[in-house]
Amino acid sequence: MNIVELLIPELILLAGSVACAIVGVSTRRSMRDALPAVAIAALGAAIAWTLCCGDTLAEAAPMPALSKWVTVVGCGLGMLLVLLNAGTADRDYEAAVAAGRTKFDPLRTTRGEFYVFMLLSIGGLLLAAKARDLIWLFLALELTSLPTYVMVAMSRREQRAQEASMKYFFLGAMSAAMFLYGFALLYGATGTVELAAMHEVFTAQQGDVGMIALVGMLLAILGIAFKLAAVPMHLYAADVYEGAASSVTAFLGFVPKAAGAIAVMGLLWTMGMHADGWLLPPMVEVMLWVMAVLTMTLGNVAALLQSSAKRMLGWSSVAHSGYILIGVIAGPDHGGWAAVLVYLLGYGLSNTGAFAALAALRRGGNEVESLEDLSGLAERHRGAAWTLAISSGSLLGFPPLLGFWGKLLLFIAGVSSGHIVLVVIAGLNSAISAAYYLKLVALPLMGASTARSREVEPLSVQWPRIAGLIAAAAVILLPIGLPAIAACAAAVLVN
Amino acid sequence: MSLLSMLSSSVLTAAPVPVADVHQAFDMGWAGLILWLPLLSLIACGCCAMMRCTSKLPAWITVGSLAGSFVTAMFLYLNYEPPGDVVNIVRWIDLSWVGGGFEANISFYIDSLSLLWILFVTGLGTLIAFYASEYMETDLGSGYCRFFAGVSVFLFAMSALVLADNLVLLYLGWEGVGFASYWLIGYYYTKPEAVAAAKKAFIVNRIGDLGLALAVYLCWTSFGTVQYDELVTVIESGDYARMTDDWSVAAIPWLLMLAAFGKSAQLPLYVWLPDAMEGPTPVSALIHAATMVTAGIYLLARMYPVFLLDGDHTALHVVAWVGGLTALLAATIGMAQYDIKRIMAYSTVSQLGYMFMGLGVLTTYGAAYHVFTHAFFKAALFLTCGAVMHGFAGQLDLRKLSGLRHMKGWKITSYAMLIGCLCLAGFPFTSGYFSKDAILAEAFVTHGPGFQWLGFMALFTAGLTAYYTFRVWFRVCAGPVSYEAGDDHHGDDHGHDDGHFHPHAPRFAMNSVMAIIAIGALVAAVPYFMDSGVKGGWIADMVNDSTASEGIPAVRAAADHAADHAHGSLFGYDPHVAMYWVSGGVGFIGIAIAAWLHLFRREDAVSLRRALLSRSATAWLPRAMERKWYVDEIYHALIRAPLWVGSHVLHGIDRILVDMVLVDGTAKLPRLLGRWVQPLTNGTVHASATAMAGGVALLVIVVLLILHLGVFA
Amino acid sequence: MSDLLHMTLASAMTEADLARFLVLSSLLFAVGLCGFLTRRNLIVMFLCTELMFQAAVIAFVAFGRWHWDFSGQVFVIFILTIAAAEAALALALVVLLHRRRNTLDADTWTELHE
Repeated sequence: MNIVELLIPELILLAGSVACAIVGVSTRRSMRDALPAVAIAALGAAIAWTLCCGDTLAEAAPMPALSKWVTVVGCGLGMLLVLLNAGTADRDYEAAVAAGRTKFDPLRTTRGEFYVFMLLSIGGLLLAAKARDLIWLFLALELTSLPTYVMVAMSRREQRAQEASMKYFFLGAMSAAMFLYGFALLYGATGTVELAAMHEVFTAQQGDVGMIALVGMLLAILGIAFKLAAVPMHLYAADVYEGAASSVTAFLGFVPKAAGAIAVMGLLWTMGMHADGWLLPPMVEVMLWVMAVLTMTLGNVAALLQSSAKRMLGWSSVAHSGYILIGVIAGPDHGGWAAVLVYLLGYGLSNTGAFAALAALRRGGNEVESLEDLSGLAERHRGAAWTLAISSGSLLGFPPLLGFWGKLLLFIAGVSSGHIVLVVIAGLNSAISAAYYLKLVALPLMGASTARSREVEPLSVQWPRIAGLIAAAAVILLPIGLPAIAACAAAVLVN
Repeated sequence: MSLLSMLSSSVLTAAPVPVADVHQAFDMGWAGLILWLPLLSLIACGCCAMMRCTSKLPAWITVGSLAGSFVTAMFLYLNYEPPGDVVNIVRWIDLSWVGGGFEANISFYIDSLSLLWILFVTGLGTLIAFYASEYMETDLGSGYCRFFAGVSVFLFAMSALVLADNLVLLYLGWEGVGFASYWLIGYYYTKPEAVAAAKKAFIVNRIGDLGLALAVYLCWTSFGTVQYDELVTVIESGDYARMTDDWSVAAIPWLLMLAAFGKSAQLPLYVWLPDAMEGPTPVSALIHAATMVTAGIYLLARMYPVFLLDGDHTALHVVAWVGGLTALLAATIGMAQYDIKRIMAYSTVSQLGYMFMGLGVLTTYGAAYHVFTHAFFKAALFLTCGAVMHGFAGQLDLRKLSGLRHMKGWKITSYAMLIGCLCLAGFPFTSGYFSKDAILAEAFVTHGPGFQWLGFMALFTAGLTAYYTFRVWFRVCAGPVSYEAGDDHHGDDHGHDDGHFHPHAPRFAMNSVMAIIAIGALVAAVPYFMDSGVKGGWIADMVNDSTASEGIPAVRAAADHAADHAHGSLFGYDPHVAMYWVSGGVGFIGIAIAAWLHLFRREDAVSLRRALLSRSATAWLPRAMERKWYVDEIYHALIRAPLWVGSHVLHGIDRILVDMVLVDGTAKLPRLLGRWVQPLTNGTVHASATAMAGGVALLVIVVLLILHLGVFA
Repeated sequence: MSDLLHMTLASAMTEADLARFLVLSSLLFAVGLCGFLTRRNLIVMFLCTELMFQAAVIAFVAFGRWHWDFSGQVFVIFILTIAAAEAALALALVVLLHRRRNTLDADTWTELHE
């Protein structure tokens, strides 16, 4: 199978994004309204091609079958995210014009680029899963990130969105420079940019990896940690997640994070995979360990202190990166990476559901943010309230929702790879996280309505609500097929 | 050593324990209907409740689906060929991919034992649901839906429990029936006693459930599987990771026993069952007499090979003695109660004791037969008590009811109760007579610590049983007509206007069900004569092809022969023969005393009690019996009071130490930390960037420090 | 000219040579980082990130020469592409922000914080 054939899903997404760009400049409203459908069709086509005739490139890539999983999960969640974004920005703009907050500007009505960026960013995620060398990985990560910077800026008409975009972009550029420098050092240490060749070099060194390579690996991981929103590169997360529109935040919470996790796993594979099993150099392992502990603890403690639901979810997504790192450390041998893949699926769905519930509500034309707005939500907006409750329950890891099984697999992997202390800390963190997730469950369902929360009204577009309900339903129903899902995830890592 | 004795006990005795075919019968997927129909009915009842249905629709849905379950079970039975099948319904838990090899599916283990159970569970379930359609009619509306939803949950869970092919699904069913029982005991949730009884049942059952959970876990760690077929194969082969003298294998029977004693209301965990009578009477008949409480016997019969692992059969001896003592204790309490439903409850505890005694003295056949006959006659008794309660506005005091059989419309009730009483008393040639004899005789046959005494004790208990049973019948159904209404008027929709109470007799649904079940109780004697080569007939067949095959007469005889044991005797005769006469005689004596004290000269009963109470030497006896031997008070003093004190102390600690110091303190800590790092998060992009860069540097330092100190092994 | 090229290519790169390049590269990275952390002008901040990118570029070229391997230089071409894309993005963002606040001072944007 040649490499162009391998890239057909990405090419489909590229074609889809071009189509979106063309449709987006149409003068007819009905055409522009079809934009989400075009984007979803492109994503669907990518999935269909992968499932029907997608093959894997057996040689070279660390985890050849990974691309299939990532294509299906990434595009599937991508469809949900497109659905979540469908029309929200347009309707916001129309509402703002109607309310006299802004003047009508024909240039602003064209939102085709929004879907273009989404498709391109998802394409970056797919490419990251196929990366065979550092150049490819670098390009894939940048392709994932660059569109998101713009998406944040244009997601809302508020200055906060632009501030968020500015912070996201500049800090992102710094982190990109960091992992790029790390790549340079890795290249210097091994003399090759191909992951497989690097793996051979490191294997030949018998675990006695040189200092340059180690520093390169640390810098690369720390730089990519920005995409994961892991400590210490997490500081942008709460601000950016708050500043962007909820529908875009859901996107930020999944796509770059998944790309980051996959990239870190690909890089670690070169150094940790030995003939006799998974063993990371102590320095790398200790750093990941400390990162994991700090990430979950800081994320959860900070989330505990928030009064804004959006910021709370933002910090909690930091905490989830900490859980993901457990699986990354556990490695492919003990089912850790398979657990990461399952966890990403569960986290992505729950996160999308939670933000979708927020995106589907408005208070005085603005997004619903504070916890008080959500109090007693079920009395008026039952769908959004239950979506939020189920998604938060899943994020908390409440059985039998999907999030629970992902977390369980991660913990099993952590224990079986011998990181019992880490798993205990993660368990304690889960307990901390219950304190604020249960707020998100209890407030909408059982809280009393306040004067403020009575002003909450549904968004004029129903797509976010539908996307949220789909996500919540998936979170409930997918555990039925859990053995199959887990088996698929485990099969990804076996060549 | 124990391995050798295991060989002597299980391999020498007879053919190996029959194991259902490992080939998975996929073409029998329709068997899943037994499970799905009650589930559908639950959903339908829920829908009825949502649509505020006020007709009898939920009852008909439930009766229909339960009848469907019964028919399916019947088909299973007709298709059944030894040694049975494992029918896969749904793949459920399969953790082979993590490397553990843990598999537990929603699969049915169809062997004779599970068929025996599922037949009477679904059959009686259908009949009693039909009975309840009339009994519960005063609650038409949401209560009606709630009731039948509960019955559906129960049947679903009970079917899962009985048909499960592994311990995990059994556990699911076990918890499910416990939940359904809690649901239905607390049906009258506005009554404080009902709520307390529901809680009591739930909590006491938890103790037993803990035992089951641990037993399942130990089974998995010791034998590497929780599926019956594999379990039996592994045990037979003796090829498991640990030897029998290892504590974990040895602990399994004891934990199973704990579970069974909780669910089947044996000493010391029986206290919940009499209180459970606060639930509606059909529930008492179905769950707390006929089916659920026999789950413990089923569990032990199913796991019998584990009990036989220990060559000394110590665990079985304990089972026998606990059963015998429970039977005696409950019978003495039952003698002194005035509430007829309570008497029946204590008699259930007592009869369950017999069943455990049967298991303990190595006659699974007797135990299973007694379960089968008891299900019918006790259901008949409860249903007739329910009819009385229904008709007399909740009146259950046997001193305030008399001569029912002379009243119009109460004939079926009276004679159904008579049949039930005859069976329970072990009147010759009734079903209870044969099944109880099988157990009593075996106590004299089997060698065990004091089993002779146990046998005499059980005989004495049989006499007591005959007495208190007929005490009820003679008081309530015989004698001159007189009655007082109860104080519960919810069932009384007429007769208030003239200030005079009119009892209303049961109508078609209740009468027909009582009649059918009473006839069933009589017919249950027939299997004894359905000879099929093995002594004991059909029931023995039903036990023979299962994990409990050790305890049937033919196998036992062969075992005794092979081991050259002397056959025990009763008064110099073969106990199996002598018991027909002895137990018949004991039953007659009991009935005669009851007739004297409660039919012909009722005033003698009162004067006897007064005479006993007036003498200080004997006053304790009626008092203690009426106060149920103070068991509730003892439990209160030993368990509840210390827990109360302890929990208040802990509450104080929680308030002061945990809430004030730990929680509030911890909650303040992040804010404090936050204030320290405030300058780093003032919202400028530089602050974030500096914190990130500084964080990277700090992280590297920490990592180097950790590596240097070597704390990270 | 071709002689010179030939000489340059043929002459082996010593470890000392490599070290010089790496020192230059790391200094450039440090300068870029320090500038990024201290300067408040949005455009200068962006230029500082470009400096950090160029530090990586120098390292890549040096290592490519050291290993006698062209993939380092290929990488550089892609880095330049990405840098260009980022520049376009950055300038668009700077224009947008400047329109909103009439200043290029990054630290005026502090609405989002804990």
